[in-house]
Amino acid sequence: MQRTVASSPLAPSVKVKLIHFGFHTAADLLDVQPLQLCKEAGISQDEAVEVLQTLRGDAQSDQQEAASESVTALDLLHQEQIHSGVVTFCSELDAVLGGGVPVGKTTEICGAPGVGKTQLCIQLAVDVQIPLCFGGLGGKAVYIDTEGSFVVQRVVDMAEAAVEHCTLLAEDEEQRKALEEFTKEKILSGIFLIRCHGYVELLAEAYLLPDFLAKHPEVRLVVIDSIAFPFRHDFDDLSQRTRLLNGLAQKLILLATQHSAAIVLTNQMTTKVSDGQSKLIPALGESWGHAATQRLILHWDGPQTMMLPTPCFAVSKGELPTLQTLGRPVLKGTSPVKLLYDLCPMLYLSFTMLTIFS
Amino acid sequence: MVLLREGLCPGLSEDMVKALQGECIRTVEDLVSSDAEELAQKCSVSYKALVALKRVLLAQHTAFPISGADLYEELLSSTSILSTGIPSVDKLLDSGLYSGEITELAGGPGTGKTQMCFSVAVNTAHELKQNVLYIDTSGGVCAGRLLQMLQAKTSSTAEQGSVGGGSVKAVIVDSVSAVISCVLGGKQTEGMSLMMQVAFELKMIAKDFNIAVLVTNHVTRDGNGKLKSGLGQSWSHVPRTRILLQRVEQPGAASSLRTATLTKSSRQSCNLMEEFNLSLQSEEEVKSGCSGKRKFNTDS
Repeated sequence: MQRTVASSPLAPSVKVKLIHFGFHTAADLLDVQPLQLCKEAGISQDEAVEVLQTLRGDAQSDQQEAASESVTALDLLHQEQIHSGVVTFCSELDAVLGGGVPVGKTTEICGAPGVGKTQLCIQLAVDVQIPLCFGGLGGKAVYIDTEGSFVVQRVVDMAEAAVEHCTLLAEDEEQRKALEEFTKEKILSGIFLIRCHGYVELLAEAYLLPDFLAKHPEVRLVVIDSIAFPFRHDFDDLSQRTRLLNGLAQKLILLATQHSAAIVLTNQMTTKVSDGQSKLIPALGESWGHAATQRLILHWDGPQTMMLPTPCFAVSKGELPTLQTLGRPVLKGTSPVKLLYDLCPMLYLSFTMLTIFS
Repeated sequence: MVLLREGLCPGLSEDMVKALQGECIRTVEDLVSSDAEELAQKCSVSYKALVALKRVLLAQHTAFPISGADLYEELLSSTSILSTGIPSVDKLLDSGLYSGEITELAGGPGTGKTQMCFSVAVNTAHELKQNVLYIDTSGGVCAGRLLQMLQAKTSSTAEQGSVGGGSVKAVIVDSVSAVISCVLGGKQTEGMSLMMQVAFELKMIAKDFNIAVLVTNHVTRDGNGKLKSGLGQSWSHVPRTRILLQRVEQPGAASSLRTATLTKSSRQSCNLMEEFNLSLQSEEEVKSGCSGKRKFNTDS
């Protein structure tokens, strides 16, 4: 089967001219010289050279590339067994996710405000750095913050707790050695924070991420918190928003598979009214629901947070697991103020302001 | 539209090509639809040579009619039906996925499209011992889940790991809407043409290589709030059979129950609905599944 001119990555104006003059497939351009093409199709010399390079180069490399890029299910199974997920330090959540947030896939976390999405993301950014001998990934994290909800003090608390947790676990020489390098400072320096204001900056960042990850191959986690915020206000053309989101989702999944990174996205909730009843559903529309590989919906059930993973990995008998508190070892030395902080960072900040100024 | 080139057929020399191009005859179509006598005079080419050339080109480029009976015989001998591994869905599809056709699975997020694709892949690889090409666009392929499904069918690890020696019998594209919907619409002029090119390629693959093609699609809501498959009207003509998957919203129903509705079919009446369970099929279900006309026997 020949590559058609219409499907090749050339400029639309060039394509129109080529098709008009009868060049439809790569075979038509086999014996043509650039000067000849230039005269016949009425395009410039540079364009003619580019066209011939693209279409002729394609013919040989395409088939080889396609054949080498396919992977059998058995190879995939071995790869999955080697790359474990990023643990969340909540055993039920890890159990439901099949060992933690999976690497090479995109995971979406949805929930009402204050349910713990940002806290979970920060926890993951710390957990991805746990050394390999402790069962972690030993990698770095990229944290893209669009809402401004990233608070460094919280990261410090979680880092301290993670180091303490690993110190308690250390059994053999290898682990003790790794623990010497696993310090609070190192954890903090292993998180790359990027602040995006608006959807244009977010999309631009998504374009630049592949280069960044190529320069920093030890990055194993990319968090976008949140992806809903920049797209939810100031958007008149909803179909454009859907297109942009779908394009972004494709870029992210490409990033995840090429760099073996886990990608975590945070989404907000919106109300859907149907038949006189209202219920909370994830924001950004129905087509966005297909974008992420896995989706986790967190919601309140009394004082506890419950979660509903969709699609589930053959979960037990349809029971919903509960999340007692996010990251139990992290809430060390919990004072009421700290607990308040976990649940509502803004309230904690205003509380501290009050104590400073009183 | 094939360009006239030297050596395309005997009798077409370079001088002739140049002479014809001088008269704006560039493609085979132009040559065949022109008047030979007039052309012979204008190009100072011999009339006999031109007529012979026309005849040869017509013979090379026309489609030949085939009688219905021959076509039927060919279909009977070459079509194969791949079971999806879920008996109720097989009932909807008239015993399974037919080779040479495109079947579409549409549904909202979490309704079981990828799971059903896994079921088809595992069934084809294990029961029919044929290869499956799985094109994944959303990272949904989870080898652990495939292993789970395989373990429900056979517990021997040797069999699980064995390489099928057959040819590719099924191509699964999951999902076609994820890659195409970002180029459709708005000010982009090429989206529609790219979509139809993909459709054309898939149809050619299905027909030429005798393969069953399964694609998945997302859903949108139309003006009345009713669910319909995504990618618009133009894509709706591409698959031969379409199934819409939905969750079962009754209170008390298991969370893994789904319904499949036949929305387009040339073999069964539309709007047939079947219910099925996404969790691992137990042995009883596999045994009691209906066997179609040409399904391979599953000895469990």
